[in-house]
Amino acid sequence: MKPENLLELQDVRTHFPLTKGTLFPRLTGHVKAVDGVTLDLKRGEVLGLVGESGCGKSTLGRTIIKLIRATSGQISLSHEAQGGVQMIFQDPYSSLNPRMTVFDTLAEPMLVNGFATRATVAVKVAELMHTVGLAPRFMRKYPHEFSGGQRQRIAIARALALKPRILIADEPVSALDVSIQAQILNLLASLRKRLGLSIIFISHDLSVIRHLSDRVAVMYLGKIVELGSTAEIFAKPQHPYTRALLSAIPLPDPDLERNRERVILAGDAPSPINPPSGCAFHPRCAYATFQCSQRQPVLARQGTSETRVACINL
Amino acid sequence: MQAQAKALLQQIKPTRAPRYDEDHGTSLWADAWLKLSRNRLALLGLLTITFMTVVAILTPWLAPYSYDAQDLNLGALPPSGAHWLGTDTLGRDLLTRIMYGGRVSLMVGFLATAVSLIIGVLWGTIAGYFGGRIDALMMRTVDVLYALPFMIFVILLMVVFGRNLVLLFLAIGAVEWLTMARIVRGQVTGLMKMEFIEAAISMGIPRSRIILRHLIPNVLGPVIVYTTLTIPQVMLLEAFLSFLGLGVQPPMSSWGLLMSTGVESMEEFPWLMIFPGLVLALTLFSLNFLGDGLRDALDPKSAKE
Ligand SMILES: Nc1ncnc2c1ncn2[C@@H]1O[C@H](COP(=O)(O)OP(=O)(O)OP(=O)(O)O)[C@@H](O)[C@H]1O
Ligand SMILES: [Mg+2]
Repeated sequence: MKPENLLELQDVRTHFPLTKGTLFPRLTGHVKAVDGVTLDLKRGEVLGLVGESGCGKSTLGRTIIKLIRATSGQISLSHEAQGGVQMIFQDPYSSLNPRMTVFDTLAEPMLVNGFATRATVAVKVAELMHTVGLAPRFMRKYPHEFSGGQRQRIAIARALALKPRILIADEPVSALDVSIQAQILNLLASLRKRLGLSIIFISHDLSVIRHLSDRVAVMYLGKIVELGSTAEIFAKPQHPYTRALLSAIPLPDPDLERNRERVILAGDAPSPINPPSGCAFHPRCAYATFQCSQRQPVLARQGTSETRVACINL
Repeated sequence: MQAQAKALLQQIKPTRAPRYDEDHGTSLWADAWLKLSRNRLALLGLLTITFMTVVAILTPWLAPYSYDAQDLNLGALPPSGAHWLGTDTLGRDLLTRIMYGGRVSLMVGFLATAVSLIIGVLWGTIAGYFGGRIDALMMRTVDVLYALPFMIFVILLMVVFGRNLVLLFLAIGAVEWLTMARIVRGQVTGLMKMEFIEAAISMGIPRSRIILRHLIPNVLGPVIVYTTLTIPQVMLLEAFLSFLGLGVQPPMSSWGLLMSTGVESMEEFPWLMIFPGLVLALTLFSLNFLGDGLRDALDPKSAKE
């Protein structure tokens, strides 16, 4: 393990079996939601993970926190990250138990895992609430009494309860009002600084990723197709898929916007049950050659650039 | 940091620090209670049921006569000052018989429902929690039991073990839990997809705690409602079994039995059927109103602002 890394993934695959029948199920195939991801998370960085709906971002997150067992591959945590990885879920309406007060929600994991005793837990809950910008006097309230943004703060506080070094934020603002989104993003940015967290930030909103991330990983159909620093990827995207994604962001200058090159993504993403042969992107790629349908590209550095890209035509 | 947090704690109004497993009777349940107390019919139902339960408990001290004191000279008198609801063909005071019958009917109703509640909630929760093959196996079992003819099962029990009140509770409870299990299983299956369950699992909350603190409290609403619907069902079942001679034995009685014997002499002595029938109907309506009220009060949609 490299010393600057907190987390390393080596060729991680998460396949869901597809079955017919319930009592005597027959295996009919696999959903290859995560299909060979090699990735590292450095100390203190925010790694943005982008990709279309259904490409396996959430499944990768759930695999890292061990909610789902990886089918194959290695997930290693550095010694200092042994405290664990916690996840902030997408929907603050479904991620909080409607029958538990804020106090119960935050106290439960600390008490169960020995991070607090009955005597100290109230103080710790108050601390946590303060950390995420909630007044501790609300600790006896139930989730339905809070707004979406406040609920997401509670969910963030819960994720922090066990003092993880790594957070996985799975589209933490996509269910919120636009006016609230910035507050939650700023909170995450400030928590990262104050607590020295490393964050895997999942989103399909590229402007948010650009604003928050140090590095970006672009995911397509269960695989990482491009991985590099945010500055480099946004200035000079290399993979045709990344270029297509980026060209979909509107530019602020109308002249630029009118004259820019547009890469249109044809059709829907293929199914992760029967991914295309070779490069999974080739059926939608404007530059695809016969070779693309034959050879699986590997994530590798191209020329002098630090960014790694999985494309055989570069 | 500690000092700062202590200062923050001062903001929390209650003088005592909140305890971990303290019963929280606030908010959602307080809301539900508020909504219930605004529902006149449901409240009336609750009062009626409470009143009947209290009377049933105190019957040995309240009843004007003894339930088996016969006086054939008094055979089948209409309501009067001495016998408010009249007497039956054996000259026993009908009010007394109804009061004692209520003890049996309410006890069968509550106990059999409790049996079905416990089995049904556990069965449904386990099936929904584990899903997959366990779920399929458990729910197919329920389907099979559903298809079994209930009467044959009860008659068999009675033949083997003799007539017995406890057996009656068990037999009825053993049938009623099937629907409860289906309801709970459906709810739990839905809940298992919620992210708060995933959050709890990923934070190392033990399985028993997830079931007790995260799943069961969230299925309580529909369970309570279905429970209030089960109690009258069970009482009718008991009436039916007693009518067939499989329920309680004379001289003890139940509302169902009183009514069905009353039917036999309906034309000569109509009060023998009317009064037990009224009490039974009142109970059924009260429970139905209470059940409807609880369903509305616990509706999560109306709990959200
Ligand atoms: N428990 C599961 N069983 C079977 N298939 C699953 C399961 N969870 C996810 N999948 C499938 O795996 C694929 C990836 O899903 P995932 O939720 O990881 O995508 P995502 O990138 O997070 O999408 P979104 O942006 O919509 O959240 C999808 O095809 C999905 O249907
Ligand atoms: Mg997702």
